[in-house]
Amino acid sequence: MSVLNKTAAVIVTFNRSGKLMAVLDALAAQTMRPDIVLVVDNASTDDTAALVQARAEADPTIRHLRLPTNIGGAGGFHAGMKAAYQMGAQYFWVSDDDAYPRPDAIQALHAALTGFQADNGWRPSFACSRVEWIDGSLCEMNCPRTVWDWARFVRPGSPWALVDSASFVSVMIPRWAVSEHGLPIPDYFIWFDDAEYTRRIARSYPGIFVPESVVVHDTPDNRGVNFGLVDDKSLWKFKYGARNETSWRRREMGLMGVLAYAYGVRGQMRRGDVPSSLRRQIYGAIIKGLGFRPAIERV
Amino acid sequence: MSDLASHTPADPALVADLAAGIAEARAIYELLFPTQQLFFVLSQGNNPIWANPEVIEGPHNPRPQDLGADYLGTLTRPGAYDGAPQVTIRLAIPRAPLPGEVKQTDAPWKPMRGLGALFRASPLWYEQLRYGAEMARKRQADRRTDQSAMPLGDGSALFPAPMAPDSDKRPAILIGMHWLEMGGAEKLGFDTVHWALAAGLRVFVVASVPAIQRLADKLPDHPDLTFIRLDRYLPHHLWPRYVQRLAMAENIRAVHIHHCTPLYESLTMLCMHLPWVQTIDSTHIVEYANGGYPRISGVWSNYLDMQHVISGELVRYFRDRFHAPAGKVVLGRMLDRKDAGALPPLRLQAGQKTLHACFIGRLFYQKRPVVVVETLRALDAWAARNGVTLTATIVGEGPYDGTLTRLLRKHGLSSKVTLLPGNTDIPALLERSDILLLPSNNEGLALVCYEAVAHGCIPISTRVGSQDEVLPDGLLVPLAPRAAVAGTVAAVDAMWRDAGTLARHKDALQAAWTRLTADPTAEEVLMPVYRRLSQGDTA
Repeated sequence: MSVLNKTAAVIVTFNRSGKLMAVLDALAAQTMRPDIVLVVDNASTDDTAALVQARAEADPTIRHLRLPTNIGGAGGFHAGMKAAYQMGAQYFWVSDDDAYPRPDAIQALHAALTGFQADNGWRPSFACSRVEWIDGSLCEMNCPRTVWDWARFVRPGSPWALVDSASFVSVMIPRWAVSEHGLPIPDYFIWFDDAEYTRRIARSYPGIFVPESVVVHDTPDNRGVNFGLVDDKSLWKFKYGARNETSWRRREMGLMGVLAYAYGVRGQMRRGDVPSSLRRQIYGAIIKGLGFRPAIERV
Repeated sequence: MSDLASHTPADPALVADLAAGIAEARAIYELLFPTQQLFFVLSQGNNPIWANPEVIEGPHNPRPQDLGADYLGTLTRPGAYDGAPQVTIRLAIPRAPLPGEVKQTDAPWKPMRGLGALFRASPLWYEQLRYGAEMARKRQADRRTDQSAMPLGDGSALFPAPMAPDSDKRPAILIGMHWLEMGGAEKLGFDTVHWALAAGLRVFVVASVPAIQRLADKLPDHPDLTFIRLDRYLPHHLWPRYVQRLAMAENIRAVHIHHCTPLYESLTMLCMHLPWVQTIDSTHIVEYANGGYPRISGVWSNYLDMQHVISGELVRYFRDRFHAPAGKVVLGRMLDRKDAGALPPLRLQAGQKTLHACFIGRLFYQKRPVVVVETLRALDAWAARNGVTLTATIVGEGPYDGTLTRLLRKHGLSSKVTLLPGNTDIPALLERSDILLLPSNNEGLALVCYEAVAHGCIPISTRVGSQDEVLPDGLLVPLAPRAAVAGTVAAVDAMWRDAGTLARHKDALQAAWTRLTADPTAEEVLMPVYRRLSQGDTA
């Protein structure tokens, strides 16, 4: 909890200028506006740069951080949080370019982070929103993971469950967590960077799920992350996911953790009737993950 | 448009905490620099115990690091006159401690890097290795560290000695503690606070080590008592100057040092500028690594007017190593005279069918909690062989909490051993315990041994410090961990099998108790000094 409340929104975008503008509209309509809206542009080739710069001229809170190449969502969040940290933000609101926060979403996250500590003494490492799909249902891929005693501080009026893993879709991270645990791992490129990061900072204390803070995630479909859903089109993402989670499990749990993970992936693929040629590639990514040891950058 | 996040009002409770911290710090620096222009550069700290103070005397050009993300603002206290020198003070105001930090600041204990497998395979062999390394370090330290008292010149009569100024304030004492946390030295420190107040002195308390100071709320709620948070806000190198200012402003007539390093470093200033201030210290335990506080006291012994010690071992230590003059080193036991009557009957009986053992102490390495568990494991095996039902209680908190719980589970002792927090009713526990285990790697003269004996419980301790002043040979076991475990079981077995042995130990405990209680107590040697000071005498 801080007497300083400077807040930076970190939005990573790539070639989705239309959705990004809707996100910037939603941020401008917040009941507690971020002091800095940092648009991390992963070298978009559409009109993103021009539109963001035009907006920035009218709204001094908007900063355009254009990266020379596309370094993936993980690289973008790393670069964005690093820049926001250097700008002196006390809170980092991290989200995607296709997630529209309801007007009080950021205020609710901030109020929950400070209110939780005032009520209970403990300092949550992050606060995450309820992420809904465009039809109002829960967005399957953005469901946070609870800890075993998630209900410890859940009370009427403060229904904040303890969680230790969340996606980078409307999650607020306090500065102390970045100071103590460093930045997201850019080398992951895409997938599992958010899970690894929130699990890492949750070692200090779990985060909280804040259901009164709502964002709408405008994805093409509402599917979870399950290796039974691997197909030719999504294979590349799943391969990154398999490599990154294997690397994390190797680091945190050792070989037994990796074996348990591989066994679970195998089961999901069998139940999903994933073609054997795709399965082999996923197994290859798991093997690659065994030797993948990306560094964690401290601030 | 709505307000920006940075314009959101801060939580009023947080603002009040911050204001209180700033007021504490200002009071310290405004006394230290009474005429200078003070320029406070304040930031929000992310440390619950330490403000990371930086003091720059003279003109200072602000630097980028003065204005970081946690920058709060500046405050200026004008100088007493135009052109007064400027002093810049950078402070990161500590945040409130988290619940986990209030319970335990130290990180959970882990075996040394590379020795985890050994610890998992045999905790006792791990301890044995650590013991061997420590004894090797002790042998080296004895050769390396300075073991002689620094000379102190008396000065020449050609030059006038400084005289105590008149003061309209009642005499005061400055009591310096290591910290306000659990410990034997701290217990004596708190006692001296009470005695000084009872003698009519105004009391200022400081602590040298930044900490949560969990026992600060145990200080008496008395208008003559002030706890000054130098531990948070003042770098050690400025302590002598602060002590000088405080002594002059508050009519401080004595400084009593309880393991407070920066007050030892203030002794030169006191002897040179404020020679009328009485200097007293109290020491407890000779550390293996470098002698610890008794060695520091010995080195400064010429600068001290009185060296109070709690054991005969320390009297000999100062006499033999530092050639302290007779009369300067004063023995005062940590005993309460009203408890010093005849001992109650000791509870353990030969051949009894139950045995309750207890351990009371902070769960730090010094107390060797791992050896406690291994001893309980060995006692459990002994009890099973002899048809005795063993139960035990471990009281304490510290970095070994988790290790202890895991070891007890691993050895199948969880249902037989109760773990209790540090605020447990110790006398009640001792009154239902047969034996007290104390396998410490070092002790001065463990207070808990006195307490155990006074409540009918028989202590079994390692042969360290002055433990032999309170316990007979049969209740002292070797320091080496494996031998300590075996020795403890042997001692219990001997008393349990042979009523004669048990009776001899009880008689020896009674005799030792009689000897100890014939010595003066700490209160008896310190109170007269405090009373004289209170009456304005310096002798």
